[in-house]
Amino acid sequence: MVTYDDGSNASASTGSGRSGRVFSTRHKTIGRQYLWVSLASVFVGMVLSALLRIHASWPDSAIPFLGGLDTTPERFAAVRLLHGSLMVFFVLTAAPQLGFGNFLLPLQIGAEEMAFPSLNCLSLWLTVASLAGMTASFFRSEGIDLWLESAAIFSLAALFSALNFCVTTITLRTAGMTLPRMPVTVWAWFVNAILSMLIFSVLLAGCAAILSDRMLGSNFFSTAAFLAQQPANLVRQASLPVLWQRLFWYFAQAEVYVAMLPCFGIITHLVATFSRKPVWKERLVVLSICGVGMTGFCVWGYHMFATGMNPYAPLVFSVLASSLGVPAAFLLASWLGTLWNGRIQFTTSVLFAIGFISLFIAGGLSGIFLARHDLSRAAVSQDFVIGHFHLVMGVAATFAILAGLFFWFPKLFGCRMNETLGKAHFWLTFTGVYCIFMPMHWMGLLTQSTLLPEAQRLALASAGESIRTVVTVATIWTVGAQLLFVVNFSGSLLRRKKVEADNPWRASTLEWSVPSPAPEENFNGPAPVVYRGAYELTGPSSGELAPQHLSPGSLAQKAR
Amino acid sequence: MPGTTSTPEIELIIEKKNGGGGGKLPPVGGGNGGGGDDSKKRPNRPNSPGRYYTGIAIGIISVLMFFMALASAFLVRKGGADWVPVRIPALLWVNTIVLLASSGTLELARKRLALSDVQGFKRFWLVTTILGVVFLIGQVVAWRILVKQGIYLASNPASSFFYIFTGAHGVHLLGGVCALIFVARRNFDAAKITQTVAAEVTSYYWHFMDALWLFLLALMYLGK
Repeated sequence: MVTYDDGSNASASTGSGRSGRVFSTRHKTIGRQYLWVSLASVFVGMVLSALLRIHASWPDSAIPFLGGLDTTPERFAAVRLLHGSLMVFFVLTAAPQLGFGNFLLPLQIGAEEMAFPSLNCLSLWLTVASLAGMTASFFRSEGIDLWLESAAIFSLAALFSALNFCVTTITLRTAGMTLPRMPVTVWAWFVNAILSMLIFSVLLAGCAAILSDRMLGSNFFSTAAFLAQQPANLVRQASLPVLWQRLFWYFAQAEVYVAMLPCFGIITHLVATFSRKPVWKERLVVLSICGVGMTGFCVWGYHMFATGMNPYAPLVFSVLASSLGVPAAFLLASWLGTLWNGRIQFTTSVLFAIGFISLFIAGGLSGIFLARHDLSRAAVSQDFVIGHFHLVMGVAATFAILAGLFFWFPKLFGCRMNETLGKAHFWLTFTGVYCIFMPMHWMGLLTQSTLLPEAQRLALASAGESIRTVVTVATIWTVGAQLLFVVNFSGSLLRRKKVEADNPWRASTLEWSVPSPAPEENFNGPAPVVYRGAYELTGPSSGELAPQHLSPGSLAQKAR
Repeated sequence: MPGTTSTPEIELIIEKKNGGGGGKLPPVGGGNGGGGDDSKKRPNRPNSPGRYYTGIAIGIISVLMFFMALASAFLVRKGGADWVPVRIPALLWVNTIVLLASSGTLELARKRLALSDVQGFKRFWLVTTILGVVFLIGQVVAWRILVKQGIYLASNPASSFFYIFTGAHGVHLLGGVCALIFVARRNFDAAKITQTVAAEVTSYYWHFMDALWLFLLALMYLGK
């Protein structure tokens, strides 16, 4: 069951040989492999989004690979589905939780390995299989069965890794790493694993039932019974693309919370590290993360069980969705409170973290309109919703991933990314995404212009055209800006300039107590002992965070 | 059971630092580990048995969620107009007794192992495995009885649910049978996991499968 060998083997075979194996069970290798999967998916997904925008602005232009896009709405919906599945499953879910989590969780809690290394390896390759399946379903004319199977496989993989994360956090913490001393990142991964455990087993059951309906002719969700329970206006437009979309949202609703939770952890961690201050109201932050997890599950449960059944349900949903704002507001207050009066080092990583906070505020404000069930009918139009969730979920989470990547790059690969290029990349991307998604909100509101008198309506319609062009140009700009990232990333990897210190950011958590890149054996020799919380100062006004693994005695010696 | 020699000192330091608040050490050796044979292990290596107990507990919760999702779909769906209740074949009651008996023999086997009577353990363990297989065969026979009556998976929602409940439970129980065979046949490397721990973890899963089956049967019998 467990193929972990106890270091005696590691010295026998060469270290690099073992970590270089494709089917490795080492948590660091698996974490990096998840990040590579995400990197590949994010670029394909981004190119697809650019193609979609170009098509929206200039429907007549010939788009490579996607001929006949405008003639068949199904094809158009399929491109959107591929963009959504790649981004949501393999970037937003995979990178912050499975990529960074697998690499860093054992390091941050002082463990040598995840609890079940073979299971971890299995779940990575199930994820890859699911990626292959979803991509292949795009090239098939009737790809929905394949897509569903891939989603079921992804759920299974997510369940296995959630199990692994839970057990690792509960049982493998090193001596002294009590629950209150865990870094906020670990808390976020842990809470997210519990949430995934609950959500993905239900998704798996749903997938099994739908697949059995489609392939074996069973009657779990017979179309007639399903449509009878839906609002009448939805039934009328129940064409194929709508069904595709509804299926997708069934998953995406749960995925929002799964994607965002680890990002909250990463941002809290980075903000505290670079402000050289303890996390402001750390207990409250941890409680908020638990709160987001819990309300996340309830909101989603509402979608699952109550749609179209109960007239009071919209009210319940509205209250729940708004109550998500309470823990989110606490998190926001804590980030700003930590930054306040901090001696902030403006590295690329902290810029992306601040960018995340900015996007989170902007996206959250438009979310208030959508959470009100009476307002949302006016505000719900394709573009408004797309603008909202891309800001708050897609782009914000990507910023958190990039912030984490710049921060942990030395730990992952043993060298630093170029700061100048990184900052240029940040500013181009930051301005770009605002130019894409803010006008998109306007475009959404313009569809309500039927309420206005005729003359104004025509003027607004022509304005809509120019806004659409602005959005498309901004998209091309933003996608182009990612070339800077590619140059920076591959250049840093190829040059491999050794990082000058093991702890370049003067961070306090355990992963920085070992050399960079993290060695084959996490903690060579005896396991580390933790003496204090993750974000504690060395002295009352020292402006330095105290490493968790230094005993009070050696810390005092170092200060002298 | 504390692991390394230096643990008491560490405990002291932590006690002092934390002011008595949360100064307890993380679970070291999995307090309820079978036979006291894990005392010499290092605490945070991935071979403390605690993670197997935690793992199976969380795994059971997850499997329970899977069946709860189906059960709630069952309760919602049975209000529909196209619902035709399934008459449960009498064979299912026999199968239930077989499964309950297997839980009993499993406990007897573990008692033998605790008395370090390896032969007795193997005998009862084999009986448990056979009873599990007999239950699975019985379930398939029950399906064939229904098919003879003309009730298929696609006949109506109630029959769909009957087949998916029994089928999904059967697949999960098949996993349990594999675990039983695995525990009986594998030569355990005591540095990683002992047979006692493996048998205990497997028994939790097996009893859970037992209880789950009683729940599903009650659901299908009472909720038709």
